Amino acid sequence: MQTITKTVLYLMLLALGTACETIIEPELEDAAPVLVVDAWLTNQEKAQEIILTQTQPYFENELPVGVTGAGVTVRGRQSGRLFSFVESGNGIYRWTPAANDSLGPVGEQFDLTIQWQGQTYTASARTGRVPKLDSISYFFEEETAISVEQWVGEFWARDPVGKGDTYWIRTWKNGVLLNKPAELTVAFDAGFSEGGNLDGVTFITPVRRGMNPIEQNEDDEFLPAYAPGDSAYVEIRSISKEAFNFLNEVIIQTDRPGGFSELFARPIANVSTNITNSNPQGPRAVGFFNVSAVSGAGKRLMP
Amino acid sequence: MQFFEPSEHPVKNKSFAARNLRASDAFTMLFFIRKLLFVRKLLLGLLLLGYVLAASGQTRVTVSGYIRDQSNGEALIGATLYVKELQTGAAANEYGFYSLTIAPGSYTMVFSYVGYLTQTQSTELIQNQRLDVQLVPEAEELEEVIVEAEGQPTARNFEMSTNKLDIKTISKVPTLLGEVDVFRSLLLLPGVSTVGEGASGFNVRGGSVGQNLVLLDEAPVYNSSHLFGFFSVFNPDAVKDTKLYKGAIPSRYGGRLASLLDIRMKEGNSKEFEANGGIGTIFSRLAIEAPIVKDKASFIVAGRRSYIDVLGRPFVPLLQEGGALNFYDLTAKANYNLNERNRLYASGYFGRDKFLFDANQGFSWGNTTGSLRWNHLFNDRLFSNFTLIYSNYNYKLQFGEDNRNRFNWDSSISNLIAKPEFTYFINSRNELNFGGELINYTFEPANAVGITNGESVDISLPRKYNLEGALYIANRQQVGNNLELEYGLRFSHFRALGSGVQYTYNDTIPGRRRSVVDSESFASGETMSTYQNWEPRFAFKYQVNPHTSVKGSYNRMVQYLHLISNTTASNPLDVWTPTSNNIKPELGDQFTFGVFKNVGPKRTYEVSIEAYYRTTQNQIDYIDGADLLINQFLEGDLLSGRGRAYGLETYFQKKTGKVTGWISYTMGRTEMQVAGINRGAWYPTRFDQLHNLKVVGFYEINKRWSASANFVLTSGTPTTFPTSRFLQQGILIPFNANDSRNNLRLPAYHRLDISFRLEGKTVRNNGKVRKNRDHWVFAVYNVYSRRNPFSIYFSQRDERVSAGQPIDTQATQLAIIGSLVPSVSYNFNF
Repeated sequence: MQTITKTVLYLMLLALGTACETIIEPELEDAAPVLVVDAWLTNQEKAQEIILTQTQPYFENELPVGVTGAGVTVRGRQSGRLFSFVESGNGIYRWTPAANDSLGPVGEQFDLTIQWQGQTYTASARTGRVPKLDSISYFFEEETAISVEQWVGEFWARDPVGKGDTYWIRTWKNGVLLNKPAELTVAFDAGFSEGGNLDGVTFITPVRRGMNPIEQNEDDEFLPAYAPGDSAYVEIRSISKEAFNFLNEVIIQTDRPGGFSELFARPIANVSTNITNSNPQGPRAVGFFNVSAVSGAGKRLMP
Repeated sequence: MQFFEPSEHPVKNKSFAARNLRASDAFTMLFFIRKLLFVRKLLLGLLLLGYVLAASGQTRVTVSGYIRDQSNGEALIGATLYVKELQTGAAANEYGFYSLTIAPGSYTMVFSYVGYLTQTQSTELIQNQRLDVQLVPEAEELEEVIVEAEGQPTARNFEMSTNKLDIKTISKVPTLLGEVDVFRSLLLLPGVSTVGEGASGFNVRGGSVGQNLVLLDEAPVYNSSHLFGFFSVFNPDAVKDTKLYKGAIPSRYGGRLASLLDIRMKEGNSKEFEANGGIGTIFSRLAIEAPIVKDKASFIVAGRRSYIDVLGRPFVPLLQEGGALNFYDLTAKANYNLNERNRLYASGYFGRDKFLFDANQGFSWGNTTGSLRWNHLFNDRLFSNFTLIYSNYNYKLQFGEDNRNRFNWDSSISNLIAKPEFTYFINSRNELNFGGELINYTFEPANAVGITNGESVDISLPRKYNLEGALYIANRQQVGNNLELEYGLRFSHFRALGSGVQYTYNDTIPGRRRSVVDSESFASGETMSTYQNWEPRFAFKYQVNPHTSVKGSYNRMVQYLHLISNTTASNPLDVWTPTSNNIKPELGDQFTFGVFKNVGPKRTYEVSIEAYYRTTQNQIDYIDGADLLINQFLEGDLLSGRGRAYGLETYFQKKTGKVTGWISYTMGRTEMQVAGINRGAWYPTRFDQLHNLKVVGFYEINKRWSASANFVLTSGTPTTFPTSRFLQQGILIPFNANDSRNNLRLPAYHRLDISFRLEGKTVRNNGKVRKNRDHWVFAVYNVYSRRNPFSIYFSQRDERVSAGQPIDTQATQLAIIGSLVPSVSYNFNF
């Protein structure tokens, strides 16, 4: 959809000239803070972190303050193992595995429990499978109507047969994670959505090219995605279907390029959460719990 | 009542399940014929009643005929006949036909129409008489600008909640980029609004864009906008008459909740060749009309094309490499007067918007409609019209630079409509309308093929087939001297037909997308689900005194098609989807009440106050994160709720003099309640506008110069603001801790437009009269460069933030049109 929108918008610009934008500071309603759970774990053999904070006023441009004194555990249902996450400052709760140990294999169902201020919050997630990331390639693209002359990266992998695999594609360019809203890429099987019915094939072009950074200079001109000497590392993470829906909602809510794209924008709505308070009358929490399997590959652009 | 006998429902009854759609059509036809037979009985009863009524007096005779424009032969819709001696009259219908049955005698007949010289004729009426009349247009200088909110006090035309815009008025309203536009003028009427520049369609009395039925010569138009809503698809050179029904919608129309916009095309000059055209900033247009056989047959062909791409080609490489950026439309109509009793009309529209990024990539959309009509007079009192209509709306998208990686997608809605309609002019006090409508829909939600790395994947969604039928009967009755009634009933029926798969979803948990729990397959032609509804309609007008009337109405409307759109503004990618086992038909009940008065020494000022209250059921909203495009399980992402809209429209118009114009102020509310949205409480819809003020003025400076101006002031559109923010994996997400929807408003919208018109010289320098007429229009849209906000959006700043650094957030207010827009256009007529 993004390419479509972008193209259409470019053409509208041609037709009508520029829309006009002003930064404003509107008055917002007051709201009490709620618990934020940032629990995106992997089954890799390395330390896993869960970050607990609270929501802040929208225009408070500071780092959120960590939650202290919470009890955080993850239990593997089949293994029966209980993983205790130890508080280590700034709201970070960490589990560090012994050598060659991890949370568990693909297919394991995990239950998260957080005890804080007399409330018990829980969430559950199953680790899905992930295809091997075969390779990364780069090709040179001449200047087009919507992009400059540049090297474009593409990763190659094939969704396994069987409907309902959901993924989050994460890319590091020269060691820096690309996670601006416009750079978020998620996939349902080899395509973008369940209704797309793209199962068991190579990821479609826009997913494969989801590894490219989207950056503009001060004059709103796009910068080349990659240049000779740059390196990229791409990860495919399996995510639950709920997490896929969540990240799609996040894209809708956060990727706001403005201008004529507002004609296609959707109204602000709260993104979903899979964290529930066992006391339905108690305060709620936001955020997500997911345990991913990961595959990845990297390549430096050496034309 | 046999309508509801369960045995008549072929649901699950295999013996009825025809093998293909055609057989099933036949079946449904039968079903309707049976209903028709029933209605015929009803009709016979009514006819008998009418006959008795007629027979109870003395012998009656009928005077009937067509009222036309003497200069070009165009039918004058709504022109009136008034019989002085009896103080009664009749109004011409959409085809210019009138019929009045009265006692024999000698009468003074007054034929009149706004902008035309009144014609008075003394007639000795002994037997049935055909009286075709041609009215002479008033001279240009005397021309009045009229938006007719009410018919002549003497006329039978007593509709309420309607606004009629003739094309002369439309062409005088200040324009955007010099283009005369039907929608721009509609937006100046009471009760009509928009969410902002660039939004497709319009909102009527708090209804959504998809709740308006837009008819072009009876053919439904599914997307009525060019260039995302900046211009309407209707070529003003081909439009004769525009009528907006906001309430009291006659029984012969149905299918949408909020309004009916009835656009009638010109028939084409049947007297002589005529050409109209213009060169504007956006479009060039040309319309040609001429008689085929003088006074018997004529045609009009009108075309427009935007040419920004032609002008831009030397400067924009994209346009040289196969890219395109244009929109065009072609409107044509022909009519043939077979004889006094039969007349044929054929009309068609074809229009398209093209945004091609290169020769193979881009986006396009457009409508195609065609209608064939046959007016037949069974006798002086029974008028009939048979219409066959085809209408299609589709859009196409294609992407991918090589053949190994491509994406092609198109989507369409098309329908075939058969519509027999009858008017029986029983006597001067009763006019009976009856008929039916059968619509065959084919939906193609997505024909889509993706080719990824050389592998082709067809991700098309199955077609959907539906049939909608309706039967109606309505009587317009004069009771005593001062009371007029219109009461009617419409019966509508909708069914989904196979082949197809019907899904059942789990119950809605507020805020969660629903999943499929069961599915059932249906063979081709099998009935998947059916709905039927009675739609009562009632309206009255009470003439308190010659200058004051009171009007009221109630109507129930049912909508079986739903425009699926969850973006802030409606856009061309919005899909229409039919009622199904999961989506119930939308129901609307509207009550209106109003007082209308002509004031001033010469009664040339018109004042009206009208209140409306509408409730709706099964109105559609969307689960957060709903995926509306190419989604097989779309219906699982839809929610249904209740709606209510109420308001007060006040209107003041000055019809004559050097300065004319109107002031319209509407105070209204429109709200929805849906489980899972806004904590289950009522919330304002995006098109809720508490205040809506419009001032429109026209001023004749001298014989050659005239000016017009309009001013619009409306409440800002409701919007949702976040209260808080939080991080997930370094991404900043807005959060509304109160779960509000549309809790705040954008700043108010206001705008002033002005326009000057210079008539070309009518006399040459050498004293000879010019045959050709021309005029220039100089217009400025948004005179004081107001940056009216279209939306306010919240986002993190664009810079890349390194891990561990706080993220800055900001709010941005966007104006689609950020400055004044001047324009010039040249228009000619010869």
